[in-house]
Amino acid sequence: MRFVPAGTERIFVSGRGNLSDIAELRRQAMAEVDRAADLASLEGVRQRWLGPKGVLTLELRTIGSRPPEERKAFGEAANRLKGEVAERLEARLSALRAAALDLRLAAEREDLTLPPRRVRLGRLHPLTQTIREVSRIFATMGFETVEGPEVEWDHYNFELLNIPQGHPARDKFNTLWISNPLGGDPDRPVLLRTHTSPMQARVMEARKPPIRVIVPGRVYRFEATDAYHESVFFQFEGLAVDDRITMADLKGVLYSFARQMFGGERKIRFRPDYFPFTEPSAEIAIDCFVCGGTGGECRTCGGSGWLEMGGCGMVHPNVLRGVGYDPSKTQGFAFGCGVERIAMLRSGTPDIRLFQQNDLRYLEGF
Amino acid sequence: MLIKVPLSWLKEYVDVTVSTAELAALLHMSGTEVDKIERPGDAWDRVWVGRIAALDRHPNADRLQLATVEYGRGRVKTVVTGATNLVVGAVVPYAETGSRLRDGHGDGAAFMTLEPRKVRGVMSEGMVCSAKELGLGDDHDGILLLDPALPVGAPLAEALGDPVLHLELQPNRPDCLGVVGVAREVAALLRTTLREPALAPVTYGTLPSTALDVRIEDPGCVRFTAAVLENVRLGPSPEWMQRRLAAAGMRPIDAIVDVTNYVMLEFGQPLHAYDARKLRGNALVARRATAGERLRTLDDVDRTLAATDLVIADAERPLGLAGVIGGEDSEISPATRTVALECASFEPRGIGRTATAHLATDVSAAARRFMWPLSADLPALGLARAVQLLTEHAGATLKGATDVYPAPRPRPSVSLPAADFKRVLGMDVSAAEARAALERLQFAVRSDGATLTVMPPAVRTDIAIPEDVVEEVARLVGYDRLPTTIPAGELPLHERHPLPELRERARDLLVGFGLTEIVAPSLIDPAWLEMLGVEGGIEALPPLRVENPTSVDRSAARTTLRASLLDAARRNLRQRAGVALFECAPVYLPRAKDLPEERQTLALVLAGQAEPARDGELWLARPRPYDLHDVRGVLDALAAGLGLQPKPGTEVPAPGLHPSRSRSVERGGVRVITFGQIDPRVAERWELPEATFLAEIDLAGMLEEVTPRVATAPSRYPAAYRDAAFVVEEQVGYGDLEREIRASQKSGLESVALLDVYRGPQAGQGKKSFAVRLVFRSDDGTLADADLEKAMRRIEGRLAHALGAVVR
Repeated sequence: MRFVPAGTERIFVSGRGNLSDIAELRRQAMAEVDRAADLASLEGVRQRWLGPKGVLTLELRTIGSRPPEERKAFGEAANRLKGEVAERLEARLSALRAAALDLRLAAEREDLTLPPRRVRLGRLHPLTQTIREVSRIFATMGFETVEGPEVEWDHYNFELLNIPQGHPARDKFNTLWISNPLGGDPDRPVLLRTHTSPMQARVMEARKPPIRVIVPGRVYRFEATDAYHESVFFQFEGLAVDDRITMADLKGVLYSFARQMFGGERKIRFRPDYFPFTEPSAEIAIDCFVCGGTGGECRTCGGSGWLEMGGCGMVHPNVLRGVGYDPSKTQGFAFGCGVERIAMLRSGTPDIRLFQQNDLRYLEGF
Repeated sequence: MLIKVPLSWLKEYVDVTVSTAELAALLHMSGTEVDKIERPGDAWDRVWVGRIAALDRHPNADRLQLATVEYGRGRVKTVVTGATNLVVGAVVPYAETGSRLRDGHGDGAAFMTLEPRKVRGVMSEGMVCSAKELGLGDDHDGILLLDPALPVGAPLAEALGDPVLHLELQPNRPDCLGVVGVAREVAALLRTTLREPALAPVTYGTLPSTALDVRIEDPGCVRFTAAVLENVRLGPSPEWMQRRLAAAGMRPIDAIVDVTNYVMLEFGQPLHAYDARKLRGNALVARRATAGERLRTLDDVDRTLAATDLVIADAERPLGLAGVIGGEDSEISPATRTVALECASFEPRGIGRTATAHLATDVSAAARRFMWPLSADLPALGLARAVQLLTEHAGATLKGATDVYPAPRPRPSVSLPAADFKRVLGMDVSAAEARAALERLQFAVRSDGATLTVMPPAVRTDIAIPEDVVEEVARLVGYDRLPTTIPAGELPLHERHPLPELRERARDLLVGFGLTEIVAPSLIDPAWLEMLGVEGGIEALPPLRVENPTSVDRSAARTTLRASLLDAARRNLRQRAGVALFECAPVYLPRAKDLPEERQTLALVLAGQAEPARDGELWLARPRPYDLHDVRGVLDALAAGLGLQPKPGTEVPAPGLHPSRSRSVERGGVRVITFGQIDPRVAERWELPEATFLAEIDLAGMLEEVTPRVATAPSRYPAAYRDAAFVVEEQVGYGDLEREIRASQKSGLESVALLDVYRGPQAGQGKKSFAVRLVFRSDDGTLADADLEKAMRRIEGRLAHALGAVVR
């Protein structure tokens, strides 16, 4: 019999130990494993019981010196105990590791209210966003987006649109005229297009019906700039021509556009209007979504309950004739709307000048 | 054109059975745009219809009177007044103490609040008012005398607050320039009848040419009617006429001028009155001016006429610019007893040219109307109406009248199949319904059920084709009835547009890289272009100029986006430490005798501090300004994102940029890309930091570099790494090194990464060392050490040979 030092407790090991001694060893071993408070002491416990000189290792070596009739039972019991202790050690190890990790993670606490590492965020200009949205919506109705020149011949901006020289409607367009430093052609005046409509003529000249196009782009007017007026601004033109397109189709297409752009409950209103290049002509308005069409003191619609969006109509036979189409076989509609108007309504932008002032404090709102 | 139609005037020709608001809505929704309804009475508070019950002398002042005013329900007040036109029993506007009125002594814009006050010792409570104090006109000489039939004690706004419709007319409807034309619309809308104004019976051809010789010598005058009126009394026009003129926005002057203006406002047809005794040779001739002829016009301007100007002349000299402005010589004066009236039709185009040339933007009311296609039927109506009014109100007697109309215009008539309504509108309108609508508008309609033949009223000049008739019917039926359908026809071919597609992808990429898009005005101050270079401009071509710019800062079509970006950067850098901006827009490059080339361009600027991304937020960021590698990084990522493979071009200098920190490449005569640091001298001029970096890309040039993407499956075998350092002469670029490394390997070299650039004693004087990491990988198997050794020796050999590089 000998005593092996083991922490505070002494373990009794009997070279002639019987099965009741095994039970005592189990109690002691398990208690020690459970008592180990950290990974280092747990490793100590492992060495003392299962290490090369461990208690159980030594105990198993005594099998040979036992009476033959005891050997089997004792060996089985001692081996089982060894397995049980190893298992208990593993479980304790996991628990201690988990507890240690918990401690570490708790210590790694971060202040999540600190400003993050900033990513510099770029913005697409609100007019670009609006034009894309317009093009996307009309694409759902089969319209292709095309672009055209901003510096234009009088011929396309006026003549082919049934606005000949001296036509009183020319006064409405407040045209900016261009002088060419390399020399112009005195018979062909050049201007900054006053609307996107010249593309009606250009597209029809270049293509054959059926045609469905949408033309966004810059336009220009001789106009004093204020909160609602710019001398350089954006429009989009729509044109659909085939052999049977009607004004009801025009209203339907614009109705669909209004609902897709401003919400499914929007109403659309056509009011007779005059444009030399369409007949019949209409002004397009949608019901004011700020006051719900009730008007009153609403500042968005000026109390009318309606928001004017642009002009439209059936392409004038003279325009069709001007591009070589036969008005008895072709007909269609055209419309034009202001991009800024839509962008202002959608974003609540109070002043049209903000779009081209490019103050990042404004642009970062988009 | 904005016209003002007093409701009471309108009611003379048509019964209005709906409220003013409803009437306005009906007009608006049928195409006569109602800009607003002005209610002059709205501003009147505590102003009543009063009656002068007694007039007494002021005890302390000879020029003042005490007026006792009763204003209903037994209310009586005493007012001190200096007016001389009051009599007992007169019905006048009376404003109580506390009411707000316009200050009659000022410009009429200022208001005052009435308080009881003593005037020369007598208490005056309230006031009897002049027209000016009520905002009804300019007259402040006397108290406004009201119709004695008005109910005493009624609020003045009810008795006199006549609403005025402000109508914004379009040039296709000159017929609505007159109140009668608007009344015709109203009659059609309310399904009632139009009462045309009374016309004097005028018999033409009753004027011997010795009395008045009227001739048309130029087709610019289409029709010329004239009348001679004798015994004309020149005094003020009747009060009701003055009130209407004032309400419609015209200043009353005298009976003759007022009548011509009144008829113009009634029918839209301008007239002109001459003192007949001042006409030399008793002639009124419509002819072209001879170049250099002189004319002093009613606005006291001596004008030199051009051969294109149409004038009305007598036998010797021009009397006025036809339809535009009269002359001083033949002006009506207090001594005028015999008046020659001109009521004519002119070609609108010539009027427009002359009016613009002589009056610029201050075009007369007559010329503005004549610039629209007025009906040639109107002169006869206008003349007869003016004769009627001058006879009634100026004691005139008609001596005779003449009508010169060399080529009478036929009344237009339009035939259209009834099916046209469905064809154009996409909704059913029966022939009967169409006919009813047109007849309400005074069209003459013949219909056999299948075809309609319509003749518009003589004053309408806008009906020429079936579509015009369709619109008339549609606007009366109501556009609200139009259904909403979707085009049923064949879907058109949808073409691809590579350049805009590339541009939009570039926009998205740049936004992803943290740049913000700007949209700047495409018209700029030409001085900006001169500020871009170290000395003067950087562009080869001068810009297109706007002939009539709104201001100098919007007077040139930009030939580069650079100025706009620098301006935006400068302004934003007043608010923050760093900016990253881009713009995608065309630049306008002039071509002789042609439209300019509009080249789609992308430009970007990085300026100021790159870090921190948010000003002052230094806790994670190390502050650093933008540098050349930032702008190169953006361009590299952009090229990668768009799938560009650089194509060869010619290196050219980049004016305005730092000469050793910039690059510009030209291909086919076009600068396809320019980037670099701004020249510090230019930066200073634009108030920008030296850390300002630019790039400009021609999108068409970029499109040429787009290469189709070919996807490859990644190799399944492991990579092998080799680090190596090569010492080269200072002038050798890293690009040369990498190019040669890659050129030495047919396959197997996956990537080359620059680890470090070292200059110092170990590299040697005038030399530098590039340390690179080479990654090798094969698609066919794991690379053996022997393969790598062979590859490295090939690289070393090629670098030594091509660049004189030595392995360190």
